[in-house]
Amino acid sequence: MSRQPSLTQSMSGLHTWTGLVLGWLLFAIFLTGTLAVFDRELNWWMQPELQDRQVDQASAVQVAQRWLEANHPAASAWNIGLPTARDPSLSVSAGEQRRGQRTLIDAESGEQITPRETAGGSFFFRFHYTLHMPRFLGIWVVGFAAMAMLVAIISGIIIHKKIFKDFFTFRPGKGQRSWLDGHNASAVLLLPFHLMITYTGLVIFFLIYMPAATDALYNGDRDALLRELRPGAQQQQGAARGGEGGRPSREVPAASAAMLPLEQFIALGEAHYGAGMLSSLSVAQPGRVNARVEVRPLLGSRLELTKGEALAFNAITGELLRAPPPTRTSLLVQKVMAGLHFAQFGGYPMRWLYFLCGLVSSAMIASGLVLYTVKRRRQSAAQGVWLRQVEWLNLACVGGLMLACVALLWANRLLPADLAEREGWELRVFFGAWLAALLHARLRAPLRGWLEQLAASAVLLLGLPLLDLQTALAVPDRIRLGVDLTGFGLGALLALAAWKVSKRPAATARAARRAPAVMAEVQS
Amino acid sequence: MNASLLCLALSASYAGMLALCLGTERHWKQLAAAAPPSLRAWCRPLGVLLLLLALLLSLQIWPASMALVGWLGMLSLCGLVLLLLLPYAPRLALGLPLLGVLLAPVFMSG
Repeated sequence: MSRQPSLTQSMSGLHTWTGLVLGWLLFAIFLTGTLAVFDRELNWWMQPELQDRQVDQASAVQVAQRWLEANHPAASAWNIGLPTARDPSLSVSAGEQRRGQRTLIDAESGEQITPRETAGGSFFFRFHYTLHMPRFLGIWVVGFAAMAMLVAIISGIIIHKKIFKDFFTFRPGKGQRSWLDGHNASAVLLLPFHLMITYTGLVIFFLIYMPAATDALYNGDRDALLRELRPGAQQQQGAARGGEGGRPSREVPAASAAMLPLEQFIALGEAHYGAGMLSSLSVAQPGRVNARVEVRPLLGSRLELTKGEALAFNAITGELLRAPPPTRTSLLVQKVMAGLHFAQFGGYPMRWLYFLCGLVSSAMIASGLVLYTVKRRRQSAAQGVWLRQVEWLNLACVGGLMLACVALLWANRLLPADLAEREGWELRVFFGAWLAALLHARLRAPLRGWLEQLAASAVLLLGLPLLDLQTALAVPDRIRLGVDLTGFGLGALLALAAWKVSKRPAATARAARRAPAVMAEVQS
Repeated sequence: MNASLLCLALSASYAGMLALCLGTERHWKQLAAAAPPSLRAWCRPLGVLLLLLALLLSLQIWPASMALVGWLGMLSLCGLVLLLLLPYAPRLALGLPLLGVLLAPVFMSG
């Protein structure tokens, strides 16, 4: 008999080790990704100076136009960020779109508003795919973790003995059995989501992860590839700059002419993209004979990620100059996959489905991490040192990150609004809280540490509505109330988890007394 | 309108998962031991039908491509809710779809 391990055994080893080593990373990626589902809402919550005026886009455009005419009458372009259901702010800028500094104005009075600087919900979004590392390094590390996730999913399916028999099986209160049930069930029931979100996540950066084709066919010139994928794009960019050869025709301003009222173009855009589906409007050469208006849709009018798409009109006559060309099939596949990942479609019901599925995914990863320690603790005491390392790393990565995320929200409201480099200070609180949790996890006995960190996060989350009421300038609007209540709900869940931990006899006094002994064991 | 459709679609997905669950011997014994055993054979086909109904309902909420994504998401989450209710509140696990159907008209009027 050969002593080769069976398929199940080797897959089990693979699952355990990819799951453990990259599980810490994957939990961070999944949790911040889940929070990023509501990034705009969190942005709004984190700038309480902004107020939802509940004006429609047509009247907001008039306000914006008046402001731009008064402040930038001679600009080469105007850009207006329209109030939308997820982000009711009105922003304006003049000049080239990418370089122009956005100014926020009140959608009713047109007064300029200067909200506090904040890392915002966008921080979770960026952290989700870069882990706050230099962009390309982060994208590669996250890509590696996503591959490991796929490996863990497939090997997990292979080693799961009774997928259909245990489909609805959950036996709580039985230690390792319960952890395994919970891990299995959350993995199996949400398998379509886990596979979809991991795979589409990899596809988003296909040019970075798999550059061989671009290198071979286009000598590594990614722009050449993109030009061929999107024949309309180049013409679009040239036109947007208002000159024939793509050069800005700043030297010779064209004769002035009266434009149609800008709010008319909102109706024209909505006729194409659907009501409430527009995100921004820009005017090239405003007030000149060659003035053009472009309206851009929200990302979510279709499954396909419609980033960079626009409808262009002659601003004097209202004539449609260019409709977005249909996407080529190859690119469409990639864009649909990216769309599936970004979840900008289907409105709030879909957003909530993604959010809840993301929470379950994070919980599934965390349960796998805990399962490892529960299983090892039963198997032998000989691995005490290693087990202890895994235990505190688990707590620091799971409990610590949750605490850091809530701490960011509290820092946003408690730091002085006019603090210099405020965004940086918010991040210092985030990473500081995480570091403190890491040290705490290292020093406390495992269950005691879990209890304390879960309870701390729970208290901070449960207090979120109160914090909002105390520190906001006005009564919470629909979006801020939503964030408050969601935070409260999650806080209740964590409080329940903390309560469960506290009911374990080892979590209370006995463990606290034993802590020095564990530490001595670690150091010996 | 949309909220009540969503409520119905969720109820149908949950009921479908519940029927599939009752189709297994283990859970039939747990939840419906008093009912005649011959009924168990009907559970699986009924579950499949209810899940198809949920798909039809989600096609009323979203365009086709999005409906498929939303439907899968609803099935998964409803399955998970059922899983969590089974050990803690088995009677609620059986009664939840009724609650959903009763709630739907409430949203309709709003």
